[in-house]
Amino acid sequence: MAILDKLKDGVQRELEGLEFVIGWEQGYDPLHASPLFIRTPGDIDRLIWNPLCVHNLASYLPSLKGRRVGILLKGCDSRSVIQLLQEGLIKREEIVIFGIPCRGVVDLSKIKSRIDTSQMRAVSLMDDAVVIEIPQGREEIPLDDVLATKCLSCQYPTPLIYDHLAGEVLPPQRPTEVLYKEVEVIEELDVQDRLAHWERELDRCIRCYACRNACPLCVCQDYCAAESRNPRWLSQRAGVSEKVMWHIMHALHLAGRCTDCGECERACPMDIPIQRIRRKINKEIKELFGYEAGVNPEDTPPLYTFKVEEPTIQEREW
Amino acid sequence: MDNSGNPFLPDIGTVGKVIHEAPNIKSLQVVLNDQHRMQSFRFEPGQVAQLSIFGVGEATFVINSPPTRMEYLQFSIMRAGEVTERLHQLKEADPVGVRGPLGNWFPYEEMKGKDIYFIGGGIGMAPLRTLLLFMLDNREDYGNITLLYGARSPQDLCYKEELKDWEGRDDMELILTVDREFPDWDRRVGLVPNVLKELAPSPEGKVAVTCGPPIMIRFTLQALDGLGFKDDQVITTLERRMKCGIGLCGRCNIGTKYVCTDGPVFSLAQLKELPPEL
Amino acid sequence: MVSREARFLATDNIPALLRRLGNTYRVFAPVKVSDTIVLFQEFAESAGLALDEQTTLPPKELLFPQTEGLVSYRYRKDAEDLEKSEVQVEETLEAPPTIIFGVRPCDARGLTVFDAVFTDGQWRDPYYKARREATTIVTVLCTQPESTCFCTSVGGSPTGIEGSDIILTIVTGGYVAEPVTEKGETLLQDEAFTPAGDKAGEAGEAREKVSVERELELDGIAEQLLDIFGTDFWEQVTAKCISCAACTYVCPTCFCFTITDDTTGIEGSRIRTWDSCMFYLYTLEASGHNPRPTKTERYRNRIGHKFSYHPTSYEGMFGCSGCGRCIKVCPASLDIRQVLREAKAHG
Repeated sequence: MAILDKLKDGVQRELEGLEFVIGWEQGYDPLHASPLFIRTPGDIDRLIWNPLCVHNLASYLPSLKGRRVGILLKGCDSRSVIQLLQEGLIKREEIVIFGIPCRGVVDLSKIKSRIDTSQMRAVSLMDDAVVIEIPQGREEIPLDDVLATKCLSCQYPTPLIYDHLAGEVLPPQRPTEVLYKEVEVIEELDVQDRLAHWERELDRCIRCYACRNACPLCVCQDYCAAESRNPRWLSQRAGVSEKVMWHIMHALHLAGRCTDCGECERACPMDIPIQRIRRKINKEIKELFGYEAGVNPEDTPPLYTFKVEEPTIQEREW
Repeated sequence: MDNSGNPFLPDIGTVGKVIHEAPNIKSLQVVLNDQHRMQSFRFEPGQVAQLSIFGVGEATFVINSPPTRMEYLQFSIMRAGEVTERLHQLKEADPVGVRGPLGNWFPYEEMKGKDIYFIGGGIGMAPLRTLLLFMLDNREDYGNITLLYGARSPQDLCYKEELKDWEGRDDMELILTVDREFPDWDRRVGLVPNVLKELAPSPEGKVAVTCGPPIMIRFTLQALDGLGFKDDQVITTLERRMKCGIGLCGRCNIGTKYVCTDGPVFSLAQLKELPPEL
Repeated sequence: MVSREARFLATDNIPALLRRLGNTYRVFAPVKVSDTIVLFQEFAESAGLALDEQTTLPPKELLFPQTEGLVSYRYRKDAEDLEKSEVQVEETLEAPPTIIFGVRPCDARGLTVFDAVFTDGQWRDPYYKARREATTIVTVLCTQPESTCFCTSVGGSPTGIEGSDIILTIVTGGYVAEPVTEKGETLLQDEAFTPAGDKAGEAGEAREKVSVERELELDGIAEQLLDIFGTDFWEQVTAKCISCAACTYVCPTCFCFTITDDTTGIEGSRIRTWDSCMFYLYTLEASGHNPRPTKTERYRNRIGHKFSYHPTSYEGMFGCSGCGRCIKVCPASLDIRQVLREAKAHG
């Protein structure tokens, strides 16, 4: 049975005990999927599963605490759930997880930077390519060229937590090294150039906070330090220093918690590569604490705890 | 405030007397520094103004001194947020920004010849004070005037000096109540809506004007309905978070109406035409 | 449209034109700043123009900046009595002469929503008004709608002139320029514009050919949205919304703002900043009460404002110009057209 059929079958069986199941449906054009809230058996027909199902549906869970819901999760998305469980922000018993072994999802910005999709007519998804029909003709793009960067180094193609798995466990097939490739390019710059790089990128930030609100782990968004009036941490001005400060603040609040799902960058209407800032911090956390967020529900995030001596931190050359 | 100048540019005023009304409520009497502006400042009872502490921000308050007494503009401020906290720190001779008058006002023309029944709770007495003083200054235009005013405790009642004055007048009736028994309190005890039900004023020829905390308003409106008051016989004022005060910044709307420009004064009949988003 | 003589602007003449105008005006035009982002930026020949695609953000920012100072203030201590202080307050209004070149009809029309509220309403906004008067809008008419375009559903047109001062129609070798206002007429005096000749006819034909399907029937939507105000429609339709507010920031007609004070030492500035009705804090009162506490009430207000309250208050004008950016940027691909369709069909 294909993955989609298994998913439909599972949802069909569990739906009665749940308020709804969150999955994906076809969006407003052939290139966009959109989250689907399955409330009735009739809604199940609308469910889709393909590399356009980019959304990390775990983002919805914290606001649904106290309600019994089902959710479809890719491997990467399951890490958000684990992190939310670790932090007590959701309850395992309230959620039925339909896991999906996933070979990767596309980054629509990568497609849009290659071809003008504004008048696109059709999209076909092959195993290793995306074919897009535009008025000028038919464009075939190798899937690997437009997969999300996180997918190119994915170590968790199968969800780490689930009640039902739609298919067989998929072993990791991607090399780990490429994950930090873009980060390393920036690391190699000297401090001035690094600052200049980020000022250039972040200058187009419009402080809309979509990155924050799309983040499954930004759970204090209604009381965010970016806008709090008392105390006032940040001016509301739209200068580059405020923008840089906002993004540093955001990234630091995610240190040891960010699971690299990429919703922040995907939500950014200005296509700023902000996931790289988080990835850099993830890299530091890994080097310092040997820790990776959202992998084991029993773990405690390193910044949630305190050890008198950290084995990897050499304080004052002691 | 007219539309010829910059509606975002506050006048600078100076704090005169500061009155400690209640543990968390102070009244500030403010005079605009520009004498000409002060003399030409015209407003109607029920209109509001934005007070500014430069460096902190603005907040909206009803001008609770009546337009018939223009020596100063009085505002009563309950400590609730950042701006009100700082307004409470002001002392005599401190500068303060004033942007107003803004908003609509009580329909005092249409209320002429009617009996007026004021029902106030806590800081909600502020807008009622304006209208009550205005009516007392134009006493012959109105029928019987009654004020039912309640607070949590005797010390939470505002305008204590005036309450004494109103008590002594024979052209109005004053009924005070507090939520529970207190030593030396010989007036009524009970929540405002309950006392209202006991008093059971007849709706005949009356207009009820009510203002207070949301929960009090809700039960007062129910009580008035029970007593037979029609929706157009009941007037109240609304509160909303405001920034611009002139219907531009967007946040204080209820359906098509902006509380800052179409309000804060609404009849119950008008409120019922709005989408239920209070 | 003022019927005045059409002029021709050769594509090759555009850089020189903008350079000349730059002596008198701030000149903004669409520039590709990354593979996927096109923004209005101050014209620089080296940057090149991106006139053939929709800009990522509308030109709203140039008339209604994301932040601007409203007034500045400065405290002064009394030397005689340190307990006493005074404060001086001054208006800070900047409205340099500006040209925005390469605007789309939907975005120009979006400005008419601002005009109705900020310059023609009960209260005038002197900041917007001054900038609007100092700005000339040069609009390039559309030739190819994008899949997210729906201007015709909200009363606009890919060849519409509302809000523009000059309209440019693409023809062979350049554009036919026609003035819409006196301001536009003035600009057409520049030597870059030559007599249009036969091109005028070509422009007329080109405009005839452009069409955007009118996919929404919005008659009665204002009343319908009120009728379904209290139904569970809103919870269902907003389930997928993540309340991120990107839709409001890219919108050519969203004008909500906040005001905050920004102080350094004894002086500072009262600034106005774009705000969003999609935020919890937007309506949170000091008491803790919030009349729109969840995304459901907030999204309902956003749709209500654009398609019910605004048209009711402003003679049927929707608070939406159909540019489709909110659809494009929505991380959940929530499609405002679909919401309106379902709202009409509900109940």
